[in-house]
Amino acid sequence: MIHVKELNKYFYVPHEIHALKDINAHICEGEVVVVIGPSGSGKSTFLRCLNRLEYPQTGSIVVDDVDILANACNINKVRAEVGMVFQSFNLFPHKTVLENLTMAQVTVRKRSRKEAEDKAMKLLEKVGIAEKYNAKPEQLSGGQQQRVAIARSLCMDPKVMLFDEPTSALDPEMVGEVLDVMKALAKSGMTMVVVTHEMGFAREVADRVIFMDDGQIIEEGTPEHFFSSPENERARVFLSQIL
Amino acid sequence: MVVFSGLDRPRGGAYHAFWGCLFFVMLFGGCWVMYQASKSVDYTWRWYRVPQYFYYTETVDVRSEIEGEVTDVATRDNTLLMTVQGSGETATYTLPDGKSLLDEGDFVSMGDVLGTYEKGSPGVLMTGLWITLKVSAMAIVLGIVIGLLTGLARISENPALRWSAITYIELIRGSPLLVQIFLWYFVMGTLINTILSSHGFPQVPSMWFGILSLALFSGAYIAEIVRAGIQSVHLGQMEAARSLGMDYAQAMRKVILPQAFRRILPPLAGQFISLIKDSSLLGVIAVRELTKATRETVSTSLQPFELWIVCAILYLVLTFTLSMFVQYLERKAI
Ligand SMILES: Nc1ncnc2c1ncn2[C@@H]1O[C@H](COP(=O)(O)OP(=O)(O)OP(=O)(O)O)[C@@H](O)[C@H]1O
Ligand SMILES: [Mg+2]
Repeated sequence: MIHVKELNKYFYVPHEIHALKDINAHICEGEVVVVIGPSGSGKSTFLRCLNRLEYPQTGSIVVDDVDILANACNINKVRAEVGMVFQSFNLFPHKTVLENLTMAQVTVRKRSRKEAEDKAMKLLEKVGIAEKYNAKPEQLSGGQQQRVAIARSLCMDPKVMLFDEPTSALDPEMVGEVLDVMKALAKSGMTMVVVTHEMGFAREVADRVIFMDDGQIIEEGTPEHFFSSPENERARVFLSQIL
Repeated sequence: MVVFSGLDRPRGGAYHAFWGCLFFVMLFGGCWVMYQASKSVDYTWRWYRVPQYFYYTETVDVRSEIEGEVTDVATRDNTLLMTVQGSGETATYTLPDGKSLLDEGDFVSMGDVLGTYEKGSPGVLMTGLWITLKVSAMAIVLGIVIGLLTGLARISENPALRWSAITYIELIRGSPLLVQIFLWYFVMGTLINTILSSHGFPQVPSMWFGILSLALFSGAYIAEIVRAGIQSVHLGQMEAARSLGMDYAQAMRKVILPQAFRRILPPLAGQFISLIKDSSLLGVIAVRELTKATRETVSTSLQPFELWIVCAILYLVLTFTLSMFVQYLERKAI
């Protein structure tokens, strides 16, 4: 599904940072991969490279058999197939919940209004906030907003979903409702890459855990193996701090 | 509206009453001092003369163009119709609400007055106000278009677009509007009109150079307002829109600009108000807008006090109406 090879990403502003160092990763169809690591280790950067919100300097990324770093690549077409959920929801505040979900369906997928609304209502039901379809995002709680954001991505029928710390901005009592939606999504067979600090989620849902530190993938394995006997020293330190 | 309220002991009713009264005393006192001062220089206020500069009526004499006999004097729908029959020709004259001075059967020679009627016309100030309104409205519309396009070019990645926008903005903001008006009228205007006339085309009237200079001037400021408005929208909005597969233009149109619009309305209103006031400079290139009209009237009527006060109030009415309208938009756009 996603093949990442020899990926290097530098930031030059405000000063030079080598944010990703020779990253290699393969994510298979239907797999749920959880990326963990300390702050500033490059998890977000890695995730954002996968739908080219960041453009890496060297390496290759192939998503669904499309080389997204090639000049000829129509990135908008790829992005429509790759859903992304942000830490800060990024719902469109000037639109209602329903309009948030239909906008891209109509403009990108060229669906009719009716078709888009039906799809949107079905997904709102799935994430459990169908009754709020006419509300503005600001009238919803954080957990509800994030569930709307997930539904907004799912409306595009993506083949992969990327999550960048989807629960970090939420009050503790709302984390569960969002994780439940994500768990259901994983069960339905969606390919997912999730950056998160929710170790419980990683243990329960992940097929594979990737541990990043200082721009590198340091350790990779099944959650059972990673949480019980990590081979790398830095992974051990990180786990002991977080658990 | 008070910025730091509630940090000190609450003020009583007497406090507000006293200082409120003082305000009105100062207001009326100021007017009274003005009035007394004008009396001391023997200025005679003649407010009753002002309305005629807005609207006046004059008596029009209708004269016969032929020699002959008045054969018919009839009134139809308040309109007086007079028919004169001469040797082999007839002429009918219409006098709206008119008064006939002759009867049927009277004989007229060429140039005799048949009758009179009252004709109302807008006065100098009214036409001046209308021109100010017209010039400002067109410059605002044009300025919005220029400003929006320049603002978008200003944040574009394309160097040709971005540098053009920066050059334009810096050029415009770096020189006085009056100089720009002269440039457009005396330099560009001369060039354009000379070339046009050498090819047999009609001339561009000076008002259009005025509108263009105002539009380009405010366009540069509107561009900066638009840019700031777009930049004030959270970056995540663009990322969310693009990550759904929308292209740059779609994301701009559907996500960024609608959100920027609400934030740029108040500074935009300020810009429009400046533009209306700046249109008073167009008098220097022979556009008879409100200020020029007032100045002309003052020089013939010798009532400078009343007329300049009226002129200022008219501008106030225009700008106040505009800012009310923008506030209404702002409330609707929430
Ligand atoms: N847009 C940017 N410009 C400059 N430097 C950046 C940018 N984005 C990230 N970085 C830098 O790249 C490194 C990796 O950042 P990244 O956001 O990927 O870390 P992270 O693992 O997601 O951390 P966190 O858990 O805090 O979100 C950091 O040193 C960060 O300062
Ligand atoms: Mg991050």
